[in-house]
Amino acid sequence: MSLKQLNANSFEKVIGDDLEACLVIFSRKDCHVCKGVVPLLEELQPEYLDKFGFYYVDVEVDKNLYQRFSLKGVPQILFFKEGDYRARLVGAIDEDQVIEKIAELLES
Amino acid sequence: MGDLTYDLIIIGGGPAGLTAAIYGGRAKLRTLVINKGAVGGLVNTTREIVNYPGYAQISGPDLMKDFKKHADCFGVEFSRDEVVSVNFSQDDKIISTKKGKEYMAKAVIIACGSEPRLLNIPGEKRLRGSGVAYCATCDAEFFEGEDVVVVGSGDQAIEEGMYITKFARKVTVIVLHDEGVLDCNKVSAERAFQNKKMEFVWNSTIEEVLGETNVEGVKIKNIKTGRSSELACQGVFFFVGMIPMTNFLKDSGIGMDPRGYIPANELMETDLEGIYAVGDNRVKYLRQIVSAAGDGAAAAVAAERYIEELNAFSTNVIKSDKKVLLLFFNAMNNVSLEFGTLLEQVNQELLAPYKVVKIDMATKKNIAQKYDVKTDPSVIVLDRGQEIKRLHYSNDKENLKAQLR
Repeated sequence: MSLKQLNANSFEKVIGDDLEACLVIFSRKDCHVCKGVVPLLEELQPEYLDKFGFYYVDVEVDKNLYQRFSLKGVPQILFFKEGDYRARLVGAIDEDQVIEKIAELLES
Repeated sequence: MGDLTYDLIIIGGGPAGLTAAIYGGRAKLRTLVINKGAVGGLVNTTREIVNYPGYAQISGPDLMKDFKKHADCFGVEFSRDEVVSVNFSQDDKIISTKKGKEYMAKAVIIACGSEPRLLNIPGEKRLRGSGVAYCATCDAEFFEGEDVVVVGSGDQAIEEGMYITKFARKVTVIVLHDEGVLDCNKVSAERAFQNKKMEFVWNSTIEEVLGETNVEGVKIKNIKTGRSSELACQGVFFFVGMIPMTNFLKDSGIGMDPRGYIPANELMETDLEGIYAVGDNRVKYLRQIVSAAGDGAAAAVAAERYIEELNAFSTNVIKSDKKVLLLFFNAMNNVSLEFGTLLEQVNQELLAPYKVVKIDMATKKNIAQKYDVKTDPSVIVLDRGQEIKRLHYSNDKENLKAQLR
């Protein structure tokens, strides 16, 4: 299942209004490291239905979003809970790191 | 369990692995490529390839898409997974993956490539994604109008550095060597020296990446004078070489050099039977897409022949209803050849209670090794693959008959 893409507006709604516990991967089309990480998230996503959101931001389309978090590279996975930015993972990570982070967030 | 058994498993989906897959698939071997991340390997990091025959200019990802498509045509299977451990000690090689699968294969080609080397200096890991970067295609745009430091002077460092100048205000290259000496190709060096946005710091290395939440500078050490200095910047790109991703093989018993490269011969054979190493995983002179592809082709053909031999041996010897006389001979040795004729004659005269299978020791070293045969001619009597006895060499017909009765 592919990740739902966010733009500036939907980002505001999901994180700011709905206060959803979720992760957002900041990525771009021609980044080979991203191409390795995105499928990991797509595979994990069904295991967290209704518990934890999985979203995607294309930094080429929504520059203001990555500038807002002063990101200096992709891929980066940002984790949010109750409207707050909580943690992030950078670069070629594996699924265990994501699973661990989600568990931390859901328990906190 | 049955569906996880393959003739050939290729670990890694870069140009070497994909070429091996094309050859394996075409030879009708049941072939699987296990690849973590995106198919194409490090080639994906190259924006422009101008030296792969038949393609005057193509991007890395596009070329690898063509390789993958070609492998798909021949029915090769792909699994996105990571190999965590292997057991190469038996004829059936076992490969365990992160997703908990256990695959079996008759032959394995190791083609898992390399990854960027880390310097492991303070700040490098902490500031990754906050100014520390390893891929210009992915990240150069984040440094629009800023100052960037590039560490290294090989092809990748200089070419990626020039690409970064399209976005950055200034790119400072930290070079280990004396003034004017770069490790990269001459064309790129000349272009870099002419690029007004490129600056060079010679005889130097980088000691630390500075900054709280984002990169604010680097600490540079001049290796000639020993003096350290700081340079303000917003980004640091590391291109300090590659290391082979062969760590998962360290308990497999395969021979590796201290840097993790696997020595392989012209057939890409390693020191383990049925295991081949190709591309960036092996000790070699040239590391290009075209040479990786060449390695892949050689390994797949060698693996195909090995599997064929294994299968033939299994049908003719291990599964034979008759007892087998396994004759190890040397085609260059007349005594050896005459003995073969005599053995067949004796068997006929005894009304053929045995099947005679001849093994040329020059070409089938694996089998000779397996039965620990060092001299020719040698004969082992087998029943369903189990050794019953060894014959004593004799050119006397009656003696041989007596031994076979």
